[in-house]
Amino acid sequence: MRLPSLFRTTAFRLTLLFLALFAAAAAAFLAYIYVATAGEVNRQADTEVQRELVSLKTVYAQGGVDELNRAIIERAAGEKPFLYLLMKEDGETISGNIAETPVEPKTAPEARAAFRVRMTDPDGNVVRRSAWGRQVKFDQGELLFVGTDVGEARFYVIRLVRAIWGAGVLVIVLGLGFGLLLSRNVSRSMAGLNAVVAEVEKGDLHARARVRGVGDEYDELAGGLNAMLDRLERLMGGLRHAGDAIAHDLRSPLTRLRARLEAALIEVDRGEIDPTQALEQALEDADGVLKTFNAVLAISRLQAAGAPDQQVFDPADLGTDIAELYEALCEDKAIDFKAEIARGLSMRGNREFLAQALSNLLDNAIKYTPEGGAVMLRVRSRASGDIEFSVTDTGPGVAETDRARVVQRFVRLDNSRNQPGVGLGLSLVAAVAEAHGGRLELAEGPGSYQGSGPGLRAALVFPPAG
Amino acid sequence: MRILIIEDDTQAAAAMAKGLEDAGHESQMAEDGLAGLNAARDGKFDVLVVDRMMPKLNGVQVVETLRREGDQTPVLFLSALGEVGDRVEGLKAGGDDYLVKPYAFAELIARVEALSRRRETGSVSTVLKVGDLEMDLIGRTVHRAGTEIDLQPREFQLLEFLMRHANQSVTRTMLLEKVWEYHFDPQTNVIDVHISRLRSKIDKGFPRAMLQTVRGAGYRLEA
Repeated sequence: MRLPSLFRTTAFRLTLLFLALFAAAAAAFLAYIYVATAGEVNRQADTEVQRELVSLKTVYAQGGVDELNRAIIERAAGEKPFLYLLMKEDGETISGNIAETPVEPKTAPEARAAFRVRMTDPDGNVVRRSAWGRQVKFDQGELLFVGTDVGEARFYVIRLVRAIWGAGVLVIVLGLGFGLLLSRNVSRSMAGLNAVVAEVEKGDLHARARVRGVGDEYDELAGGLNAMLDRLERLMGGLRHAGDAIAHDLRSPLTRLRARLEAALIEVDRGEIDPTQALEQALEDADGVLKTFNAVLAISRLQAAGAPDQQVFDPADLGTDIAELYEALCEDKAIDFKAEIARGLSMRGNREFLAQALSNLLDNAIKYTPEGGAVMLRVRSRASGDIEFSVTDTGPGVAETDRARVVQRFVRLDNSRNQPGVGLGLSLVAAVAEAHGGRLELAEGPGSYQGSGPGLRAALVFPPAG
Repeated sequence: MRILIIEDDTQAAAAMAKGLEDAGHESQMAEDGLAGLNAARDGKFDVLVVDRMMPKLNGVQVVETLRREGDQTPVLFLSALGEVGDRVEGLKAGGDDYLVKPYAFAELIARVEALSRRRETGSVSTVLKVGDLEMDLIGRTVHRAGTEIDLQPREFQLLEFLMRHANQSVTRTMLLEKVWEYHFDPQTNVIDVHISRLRSKIDKGFPRAMLQTVRGAGYRLEA
């Protein structure tokens, strides 16, 4: 049964709260209407009674008690009569259409009273109705009570109050129903999200929430949850991949190192080789292992935590520094080096990581460009405002089908097997680009050049600062 | 030279002490931050080698305390944490140089020696002299045995660094850090190319080569 949990939902609780507020407001409203209308009925009755009293006082003043007595008898027989009771000073009835005065004590000289009166309606039924009246005392000691029937007016007030009550009950019932419906809808929306969270908690990172496309806050939450899970999955994948990669890539050099040490031990033992040479080779192997390890670690950290210590700087300064650093290397290899650096740009990033990335691109370019080729470093602003660092070479380039692959860790294309390196350079460049909200774009170079080509154009594209 | 090694990994510290001894330096070890701080306060050391992560007091706290007390002994931080932020934090705390584990002995010794040298040459001189090589820091000129040598600005900076650390090994990483002010790890030896350019300018045509390659370490400018 879903109902009990339904009652616990926030939507339902809010509905209850609003209904309670509504009921309180309605009760206050009713009380006010009741007091106001009931008071008005009595006030109006009182005015009429007083007017009648004034009229009867005039009669008394002109003709004394006898004339008054006659007037009362006359008027009591009229249509829609007042209620009269004329009494002697001691309260004994002289005339009137009610049996006794409702005033306490009966001989009070000046009093008002709300009371109920027994009456016979036109059909002969005896009914009790509300009434209102005043009692006065004349100069000679006679007492006169005049009242009027307010039953009819009251009746309307009561009907009005009942109608409002009924409407209130209807609203509350409808509100409760609507609240239940609402909270069931909300629960249903939340149930999907909760199911995804439960799945993920159980360890299934592939679970995704359904986005219904309505664009409401649940869709927004589902979208956010999915984006979070995507990133989490990528990170977990990255971590697992990094772990695998480290294990895989460290295993072979470590095995090599171990084998070399073992062989060296035997050979040194037999006096066949120089121990220093063996140790130097081992040291070199160990350094290679460390280099790989550091690169994989740097990539994982960049992917997990982004680039640390970002500052705003002029990319031209970085470009100039790196160009100067690598120009000599190009010259040494008889490669034509050119740098085109736009000034006055501004970007935000970690200078060390960006230098490392540019250095990796230039290292690659120089490594694969044959003698007599050309390498160009360019720093400029794109039409979109993005900052672009590009390195173009005239080496063999990377086939379009391989471009996505060379960025992956430890991927080395067949024609690079005889070159030094472990296949982490471009992965690190891509990780640096992504850690700065940018990207690495690989494209074809300038085409055939000095018998080589088509070359590679690697561009780091970053959003501008601010 | 007397060196204090504050490092909780005693095996690594012993190996380091051995390496420094072979290079002709005397060293003392402290196993944790507190012992290290007390040793640094008592003894007269030329350089402190301080590990970042240690029990009782960490390396940064030790150096901050020493600096507050007015002790200006050069400090080389050692750390397994290789991130830029850690380096900046270490240098802010009063460290003079930063070396990431694992390191090569040659690198460690070169840096320790560079630090001690820095303190010795506290006086401000406008002319540097190493053998028959002379550098005028104000006129930005270099002469060897009376012949003027024309250098590019960066070559001038590179030679200045080498001259300030004459007769000491300096590593490629140190040159990239101190001359170019970058801390990354180039795949190729870009520094070698710059050194060979400089070498061709200062040694070519002279009977003795001053700029020597030190195997497994880096370079040395010999008087």
